[in-house]
This record gives sequence, structure tokens and C-alpha cells, in this order.
Amino acid sequence: MSSMNAELSVNKQASPVPVKSSLWKLSVRRLLKNKLAISGLIVVVFMFALCFIGPLFSPYTDNKIHMAMMNKAPSLKHWLGTDALGRDVLTRLMQAGRISLTVGLASMLLSLFIGLLLGAIAGYYRGIVDQVIMRVADLLLTIPGLPLLFIFGALLSEWKVPTDYRMYMVMLMLSMINWPGLARMVRGQMLSLREREFMQAAVVLGLRDRRKLFNHLLPNLVPLLIVIATLNIGGAILSESVLSFFGLGVMPPTATWGNMIDAANNMIDFQERPWLWVPPGLSIFATVIAINLFGDGLRDVLDPKQKR
Amino acid sequence: MKKTVALFSTIVLASSLLLSACSKGNDSNSSSGPAASASGSASAGTDPAGQSGLTETIQASNLSKLPATAKNRNDTIIVGLTDPSGAFIPYFTQSGYDGNVNSLLFTTLVTVDDKGVPAPGLAESWEVSSDNLTYTYHLHKDLKFSDGSPLTADDVAFTWTILHDKAYDGDSQISTLNIKGGKAYKEGKAASIEGIKVIDPQTISATLEKPNATALVMLGAEVLSKAYYGKDYKFGQLDYIKKLGTAPVGNGPYKLEKFIPGQEVRFVANENFFKGAPKTPHFIYKTSQGDTWQFLETGEMDFASFSATQENIDKLKGLGFVNILPYTPSTYGYLQVNLEHEALKDKRVRQALTYGLDRQSIYVDANQGAGAVANIPSSPISWSYTEEGINPYKFDTEKAKQLLDEAGWKEGSGGIREKDGKKLSIHYLGSKSKNTDIFIAIAKENYKELGVEFQPEVFADFNALVSKVEGGDYDLVSFSTPLLTDPSDGLLQFVDGEIKGYDNPKFKELYDKGLATSDIEERKKIYQEIYQLLNDELPVIFTSYKKTVYAYNGRIQDLSVSPFNGIAPSLPNWSLK
Amino acid sequence: MSTYLAKRLVYMVIILFAASLLIFCLYALTPGDFISGNIKLTPERKAELREIYGLNKPVLERYAVWMKNAFHGDLGFSLSQQKPVLTLFNQYIWNSFLLAVVSTFFTWLIAVIIGVIAAYKQYSWFDTLVMVAIFAAMSLPSFFIGLFLIKILAVDWKWLPPGGMLTTGSNATGLAYVKEVVHHMTLPVIVMTLLGVGSLTRYFRSNMIDVIKQDYIRTARAKGMKERKVLFTHALRNALLPAITLVGFELPALFGGSLIIEQIFNWPGIGQLYMQSFSLRDYPLLMGFTMLIAVLTVIGTLISDILYRVADPRVRL
Repeated sequence: MSSMNAELSVNKQASPVPVKSSLWKLSVRRLLKNKLAISGLIVVVFMFALCFIGPLFSPYTDNKIHMAMMNKAPSLKHWLGTDALGRDVLTRLMQAGRISLTVGLASMLLSLFIGLLLGAIAGYYRGIVDQVIMRVADLLLTIPGLPLLFIFGALLSEWKVPTDYRMYMVMLMLSMINWPGLARMVRGQMLSLREREFMQAAVVLGLRDRRKLFNHLLPNLVPLLIVIATLNIGGAILSESVLSFFGLGVMPPTATWGNMIDAANNMIDFQERPWLWVPPGLSIFATVIAINLFGDGLRDVLDPKQKR
Repeated sequence: MKKTVALFSTIVLASSLLLSACSKGNDSNSSSGPAASASGSASAGTDPAGQSGLTETIQASNLSKLPATAKNRNDTIIVGLTDPSGAFIPYFTQSGYDGNVNSLLFTTLVTVDDKGVPAPGLAESWEVSSDNLTYTYHLHKDLKFSDGSPLTADDVAFTWTILHDKAYDGDSQISTLNIKGGKAYKEGKAASIEGIKVIDPQTISATLEKPNATALVMLGAEVLSKAYYGKDYKFGQLDYIKKLGTAPVGNGPYKLEKFIPGQEVRFVANENFFKGAPKTPHFIYKTSQGDTWQFLETGEMDFASFSATQENIDKLKGLGFVNILPYTPSTYGYLQVNLEHEALKDKRVRQALTYGLDRQSIYVDANQGAGAVANIPSSPISWSYTEEGINPYKFDTEKAKQLLDEAGWKEGSGGIREKDGKKLSIHYLGSKSKNTDIFIAIAKENYKELGVEFQPEVFADFNALVSKVEGGDYDLVSFSTPLLTDPSDGLLQFVDGEIKGYDNPKFKELYDKGLATSDIEERKKIYQEIYQLLNDELPVIFTSYKKTVYAYNGRIQDLSVSPFNGIAPSLPNWSLK
Repeated sequence: MSTYLAKRLVYMVIILFAASLLIFCLYALTPGDFISGNIKLTPERKAELREIYGLNKPVLERYAVWMKNAFHGDLGFSLSQQKPVLTLFNQYIWNSFLLAVVSTFFTWLIAVIIGVIAAYKQYSWFDTLVMVAIFAAMSLPSFFIGLFLIKILAVDWKWLPPGGMLTTGSNATGLAYVKEVVHHMTLPVIVMTLLGVGSLTRYFRSNMIDVIKQDYIRTARAKGMKERKVLFTHALRNALLPAITLVGFELPALFGGSLIIEQIFNWPGIGQLYMQSFSLRDYPLLMGFTMLIAVLTVIGTLISDILYRVADPRVRL
């Protein structure tokens, strides 16, 4: 999320309107008062720290097999037990988190970027540009998402992408599915905003396109974008688990939360060995909730309408 | 191998929740877990971890635990089946699950016993001419179809004939048997097939152009009513027959009562069945994908199949109200090797990859004993199975390294072996399942140890995997055969061009020899020789045999499962106590 | 408006054409075909069958044939099910529709009620609780919660059946039949509602918050109008208005079935049928289904655009 903030602030500084920087400070102060959002942020930071730093302290390597130690319950030696191949669940959980978090974040940024860019252009310029962009989006939107993912998944394997790069394919697949909806939403907002009084004033003042777009329209989109962005990270992490469920995700033995939780698919593991699916399930659950709460807090703070 | 009857998984076994039908049995089988792919296993049974701990039926310990639903059901037995589609005509169905339904609606001229030896069905006897070319079947007297009409040799002739129609799109291989005049009929040059002769209403014969020991069982399959399925027949026009799929007229133990798409196939006893109406008046195949535990536990199903892992068995024992029946399906699992790739053309490399792969861990230990290691293309329950003169390729990394050294693959940069500047890299394909995950995890480690790069790729659906194999873009791929009846079934893939690049005249000669005689003792010797040959040459890497258990409602009496035909043969005898 | 409609309709047809071509090509490009999955066939037999099914012809030619038949209302014959595609739709779609309609109803009902109350009491403990609950519901992987509920409610406590639509072998008719179906659909409906209610509640809550801050609400309050009346007549109506546009988007979901839910609960719906057809590469069925969804999506979009205009007249279409 910190990268989001950075982006926003860059945007603000680029703008010549002076009041904004103090507004930014005010926002941070307001955010700090929102307990839910802050606890969300803490959980997210904790999950990132756990996944990216945690493995360095683990005495195990994630894919090391120990047949003698298979399916052991949690103990002092293996805090979260071991799986069917005697691999340490905690270590795998942390390694898996790296992949899942990266996939979530990256595919959100990618689809947000495409969706915002195309949606804003379409909503602002209208005419032919709008037509072309929205028709392509419509076309993609008419095709149901999961089938499209299946097809992409099958096609991508034809292109001989080395298995190590499958993770990037997953991101790409998810953004391909997500951007049209985003573009539509952004465009809709733009259309509505264009008709507002302040925009009509901007037109009367004869402001340049760029200035209208970046100084007046985009800032008004920020709350919407933040809501979408947060929902999207959470959504992407969940989608990754669904893709794994269908076997279209990251290739084993590389662990992701999605393919680890797949253990729940087996009745025996589900009933007898909760340590296989509870940790990844809880990780997905906690991370997604936390991201969403934080995003919601940000929205409350940044929504210009609430400052009236 | 392609000639088996379409009964892959007789019962539903939970394969991974979402993958459905696939034919090569990559995961058509059962297991409680998400999919039993090409796993299985069997070490020659001496390994401590290799015993699945179950050799005979365990009786239900406490029938009073039986859920009320199952207790109150007195005239109906319910079995799960993954996904019947509702097109119930033998030879024309496209899904193996419809094949399971067909096997209750229709019965065959000749069946096979638990050893795979032909046994009488609708035909009470048969003769094979001394030149092994002419097969004559004698039907029982007074056979009837389920609508009461008589079943005679004419119906058999009709059935064989339409399978030679040029519009026939099913998967029966009868037209490849080369019945005399079959080709002429297919090309429209003859009005009937010369080699098929109706001698009298109870006797029919077929004459082949070339001997084929599988013909007896293949020709002796289901019989379609000429009066019902043939009344609109014109050469080259078979579309009409598909419309009859929802209202079959059969000759099996049961009749179709009702098909509820996506939910149930209901059967009612056929009073015209030649062995008499079955003991239980109603039977239901319940459509159920994925795990069947919950249905068995709640009493909504009377019969289910599971992978024979120790914990599955323990859990089933814990239920108390089910009998547990161990079962080894007549299949074998193997890794198909891309023989068109330079490195893999070398027998020593294939042997090294076998020695260097810890099959015991993959198929037996990680699978909790629900499998055994395979070394020949035949199932341990087949009459042709042997371990004489068979190299078990016990896991031996040193031996594997030595073989690779001999073959000229020397360690290069990064610990990967190289030859002529090319790295030894293995691109592996598998379909999505827990067993594939296990395979990949272990194989990756094993092969790294050998200095072989291992690149796994997993496929969510079977067709994508197969097309990748057809395109030649692989080095190893996990497969499992469908149920094999005749020993030659398991060998067919080595002669019909499916395993590209394997061309051994000696093998072909032996294969033909094995088919040229119907004498089982003689054939045993030939197959032993074949197995020794293939075990040494390894045109594919043999991996494993599956072990499963069937769990069924303790009230059911007289239940047995045929390794070759599933539950169909014994079903008419099942009764509820 | 009528010229706009006419334009939109023409455009819809063009989009559908483009979509059908795109989908057809994508399916054709997907590795493997209906024949390749059947390993029991010899290579020669495979070639013969491809000839019979026309699978060896160029993609565009196959597309032309498909399109021509589709125009005549013939969506073809399912290769794996051996039945006309339309018959199959008729057999499966209504089961999916039933699940979708009921769960959509509950989703909206719950979302509106909770959304309004939470917005009214913004930042109260109730609001906080609702927010956390909403996010919790949105953060659950669907297959996971489905399996979990089956285990708890069906297997362990035996309150509800673990799957299917009817008790196996049941001959119930009339009311008894309805009762049985309701009993079986409870679990999947709970899960679908749970999964859908989060984002919608959130949507209503934020709409409502916006509306409550508007001048006319303040005016209404200032006039001394009863709080309940302000909330439910003035505020709610205005908060619901933009949500009407969502109705159009729900359309494809009503008929499209749910791949995951149907699979887990063994529900005989179209989503399950689609999954099987995809892995078998049953092109006629896949094409038929995907186009059905495409048509519904396009119609749904049109409806929501029109409603959008109705709801906010300032938007020029």
C-alpha cells in the first residue's frame, strides 16, 4: 500500500494548487484516528514482513522432502506441522505468501493502470476513442470470466512459457480479466463528473485538457480508485486461489496460499489435518480483510465529498 | 490397450473436484482424495511400507450405526457415478460413464471371469476355427430384449454391421478387426459384410482376414435390437440412432426407468433378463462429482470407492456400517517417454531415469500404501503377470549416475549434465492432482541429484495435456491405462504408433505371436518374453499399480467387483438383508 | 431516445458477431479437441472421426457453418452428450436459475437493510461490526467455505443434505417436491448469499452515506420530518436509484450458473455442464453456452445503460 500512497502524493505535488499538501497531512492524521484501518494496515505489514523476512530465519527449505516426517501435527520442531511429503508447513506458508502477495499486488497495479488509463481517456475524450476502447472492453466483458481464464491458461501453455515464469502469467491473466470492468467504472464516473458544475466552470475558464484531466477529474476519482484497488488486491489473492483450485495457477512444487489451501479439497485432510489448510486459509482471510479495511479507511479519509 | 470395454472407473471416485471425465484414466479413478492420477503402486509386496494392510473383505462391525436413510431403503441400491450424460446406446456413447450405465442395460455375448478368461454370456458357447480366423457363437435359447421381443443371431449381425458404417463415430474398434468384407461395406461397395454369417437363429459366425486373439471378446460384446435400432437404418445414416439414446431397449439385468439430468439414473429390474430378474428391484446411479465421503457417511449412497490408503481404511472401519473390499484394478501407470528426443533414444538414459526415480516413495510411501511399483505392462491380477526375469529397478542413484556417465552425459556448469553442449533437461507433463504434486516434488529432488534438470508442467484438463503430447512437446508424461482385459490390450500402444519412435521388429513379432493363438499356457510364455524385453528396453517407464477399496452398506449381500468389468456382473445378485 | 435505442441495437448485433468470432477462434485455438481426449482410439481412427465431425476444416469455415445454423436457431448437437444443445440448456439452466434467483433476492434484501442501517449509524459499533463482517464474507475463498459448511452442517450435524437437488430415489411431487428442493438448496443459497452480500452491502452503505449528507436530507430534517421517514422515503430511494443499474449486470449471472458452487454442492446446473464440456472440448455446447452468456451480458448492459439514464438524467447517452 505504501507504493499507492507514494503515487498519490506525487500526483498531488505535481499539482500547482497550494492547499493540497496540508490537506494531505490532515488526511494522515484522520487516518491514524481510524482504528480499523490502522489495525488493517498493521496486519498487512505484518503479513508482508512474515512472508518476506520470515523464511530467512527458518531452519527448513520450503521444498525439502522428508518422507519420515510426513503428515506430522504441529510441534515445537515444526510449529505448523508438516505436509504429505514431510515439508515444513510454516516455511512453505511464508514462501507461498511471497508469491500470493506479489501476485495480488502486481495484478492489481497492472489492471488498475490499464483500466484507469483507458477508462479516463474514454470518459474524457468520448467520440471515436471512447467507442474503440469501450467496444473492446464490451467485447471482453461479454465473454464469461472463468472460461476466458481457462482458455488463456491453455493457450499460454502452448507458448512454452517456462514454468518459473508462470507466476507472471497468472498476473497477466488476472489483469486481462479485470481491466474492462475497471475501465467501464472509471468512464462512468468521468461522464458523471464532466457534468458537474466545477467542470463546467473549468470549461468556461478555458483550461487545457491536461489540466482539466489531472487537476480536476482524476483527484475526484481517487476515492473510487482506492476502493477498487483494495478490493482488487484482495480479489486477486482470492482469484489466485481459485486458479490453483482449477490447476491454472503457479506450478508445484512452488507453494502459493492458493495451492496450499487446495488440501481442503480432500475430505481426509480436511477432517484430520487442519494444520494443512487452516494456516493458508487464515492467511488469505486475514490479509484480504486487512487490506480491505485499510482501503476503506483510506477512502473515508480521502473522499473529497466528505469534507464539504 | 485401446480395446477395453468402456468401463474405466466403474464407480465414481472422487477425482479432483473439478476435473471430469477423462479417458485414459489419468484420473478417472477413484480415491478419496482429489484425484488418483497415474499413481498406484505395488512393490512386490515385501516392503513394509508397501502393504496396504488389507487383503480380504472386512465386515461391518456395527450395523446399528447405519444412517436412517440407508436403513429405510429396502428395495433400492444407490451407487455413485461421476457424470452420465443420458445417451445410453452401447458403441455410440461418448462418455465412459454412459458406458457404465450401458453395462447394466445391456449384456454381452461373452464376458470375462476374474482372471480375464472368456466366459459365457448371452452366448452359451463358441468355437474358434483351427486357422484362428472364424469365430462362431451359439446363443442361449429364448433370449429376449427388455421389450419382450426375441433376440437372435440377426440382431448380432446387425450390430456388427452398423459398426462398419462410414458414419459410425463411436469408439468401438470392431472395424479394425478386419472382418472379411468389412472394408468393402465401409466404402459402400457391398450391401452386406461377407464375413458375417447367420447360420441359424441361435448361431452366428464372423470370419477375419488375419488372426486376432482379442476378437473373441471384442465381437462378443453387447447386442443391439435390429427391430428397434435398425428400423430406420440406411447406409451412411446413423443420426437417427442417437435420438434413441434416451429410450434404450436392452437385454441387461436392468431397464432404464428414468434419467434425471445431472442427478440420477434410475433403473428397474428387467424381468426378461436371461438369468432372471435381479434380486433388488431398483437400482440408482447417483451423479456425484468429487468426494463421495459425505454421501456414504450420510447414507445417501450404498457403495463408493476410495484409494486404499491406511487412513482411508481406518476411517471406513470407524464408520462401522460398511463392508470394505480391497480391489486392484487391471491397469498400470507409466511415464510415456518422448522417444523422438535425442537424449531419450538412448536406452541407458531411460534406465538411468528409472533407477534414479524413487518410485517407492512416490507411489507407495507418500500414497500410504495405496499402490505398488510396476515394472511391466500388465496388472498383477492378470493371468499373464510375472516377476520372473524382471528387473525391479530398485531406487539407486549411483547406478543411475553411472549409466548416464556411460551414455556420455557429463556434469557441466551448474551441476547439470551435458553432452555435445546440450543440457540434459526433462520436461514433464502431468494432470492436476495431489499425486502429481507428490511426483513433481520428489522427482525434482531425485533428478537434481542425478544432474538432470526437471521442468514440470501441470494441466487442469486432460485434452490440453494430450494435445501437448501429440505435438511432441514433452519428455515425460504420466499416464495410466484404462481397464485392461486381454494382456495384449496393455501392449497395443507399442505397436499401433501411439508410442512414437518405438520400432522393434522382435517385439512386433512376439506381439503377433501372442495374438495368433488362443491357448493360454502358450500365450503366458510369449507374454513373459515380451515383458522381459520391454522391462529391459523401457520404451515407457513403468511406474505403478493402483490399490483401491470399495466400501459398501453392510446390508448388501453377495457383492463382488470384477477386475475387468466392475460391478455389472455381480449386480443382479446383490440383495439387501 | 429511440434513435439511441436503434443505434444501440445495431451495435449490439455487431458486438455479438465480433464476440462470437473471437470466442470461436479462442476455442479453436485451445489445445486439444474433442477427439484427442479419447486415448483408446488409434491415430487412423482419430483422423476418420475428425473428418466426420468436420474438425479438420479451417476455423473460419467451421465458424461460418456454426453461424449459419445458429441463425436458423440450431445451436448444434453436443458431441459428448449426444443431444441437441438447446435441449441440454433446457434441462440444466433452470436449475441454475433457481439457485441464482433465490440467492440474488436474499443478497439484495440483506444488503439493503444492513447497508442502510450501517450508513445511518456510521462509525457506531454496529457499523464497525458490519464492516468487519462484510469484509470477512468477501475474503472467503468460495470452494473453501462451501466445503466447510458441508462438513459442519451436512456431515457432522446432519441438518441439511450434503448436495444434489433431490433426495436420491425420491418420488415426491407437489408440495413435498418443493419442500425437498428447498431443503437441498439451502446450503448453496447460504454460500452464494454470503459471498455476494459483502460488496453489495458496502455499495449501499456508501451510497447511503453520500445521500444522507445531501442538502435535501438536511432540509427534510430541518423541516422536522420524522427521522424514519427521512431515512426510508427520501434517503433510501435516492440511494437505491444508482443501484438499479446493477440489475442489468446481474442478468448473465442469473442464467450462467456458478462453476464452483454447483460443483461443490453437486447441483445439476449449467455451470457444471460447462465445466465438463470444457475439459472434453465439446465445441457446440461450449459455443452455445458462451454465446448465451454473451447475449445476456449485452442485453444486461443495455438495460443498465438505459436505467442509468433514467436514474441520472444529466448523463448524455
